[in-house]
Amino acid sequence: MATQGITPRQVHPGGSKFEVYMWFYMRISGVLMLLMGAFGLVYANLVGGYGNLDAGAEMRWTFFPISFHVQSSKVEVTPNFSNPFWQVYAFLLIGFAAVHAYNGLRAILKDYVRHPLLLNWLQWLFAVLWAFMLGAAIYIIFVFSAQ
Amino acid sequence: MSKLSRVTLPQALGYRGGQPMVAWLLHRISALGILIFVSAHIIMGFFLYATTGGVMNNVANAVTNVYEAVPTQVFVLFCVLYHGLNGLRIVILDMWPSLHRFKREAMWVQWALFLPLFLLPAFLIATGYKL
Repeated sequence: MATQGITPRQVHPGGSKFEVYMWFYMRISGVLMLLMGAFGLVYANLVGGYGNLDAGAEMRWTFFPISFHVQSSKVEVTPNFSNPFWQVYAFLLIGFAAVHAYNGLRAILKDYVRHPLLLNWLQWLFAVLWAFMLGAAIYIIFVFSAQ
Repeated sequence: MSKLSRVTLPQALGYRGGQPMVAWLLHRISALGILIFVSAHIIMGFFLYATTGGVMNNVANAVTNVYEAVPTQVFVLFCVLYHGLNGLRIVILDMWPSLHRFKREAMWVQWALFLPLFLLPAFLIATGYKL
């Protein structure tokens, strides 16, 4: 291909690798979230949830392991799942989901919003929403569930 | 669509992208569905448990009633299952590019997994089946 003196074009000459890292992150976080959901479900069933969780509770627990999600079932959540390991686990799950989701939203915005100033403002607006959502999740996991 | 776009909506809908384009489109739509649901759920959950009475508590109650309804649950099930399965197909094809000769079969496997995994729970949720 190196004929007729064609020099290769650099898309981001010495620029940031943010998009590359985000490309990897979307895939890794996606697979991790699926695995974390599956692990939480299997573990909960093995330590005594089996037979005590109804179908809705099983699905809600897969999405997010927190005591509010199994209130309808006759299962005792507090001894096994209010310890720091599960609190950190739940926080990691919601953290991966938040960055995965809002990065995807950023990609969709970049595709459809042409005006650069509108694009910038919308990205900042969603960054604020992302931060508020993460703060609410931290409150629910660490402050509220510990009661 | 902004006025700057050179593609009209009928042109976009008539584009013969086939199954892969449908997959891409559904991946986007399901992503937005999950995003809206999860963000609303977390924020409303926060207001529901952090306040007692008052405006935000009533708003949180109302929104909670909306997304605990059966249609919302079936929609969320569709979005999460489709987005996850499609994402898995994309990751597998990215990690083993030699499998690209089977990309059509991969789509079939994806639909074969998705349809039973979605339709059965959706039917159970819609008919209110309790274990």
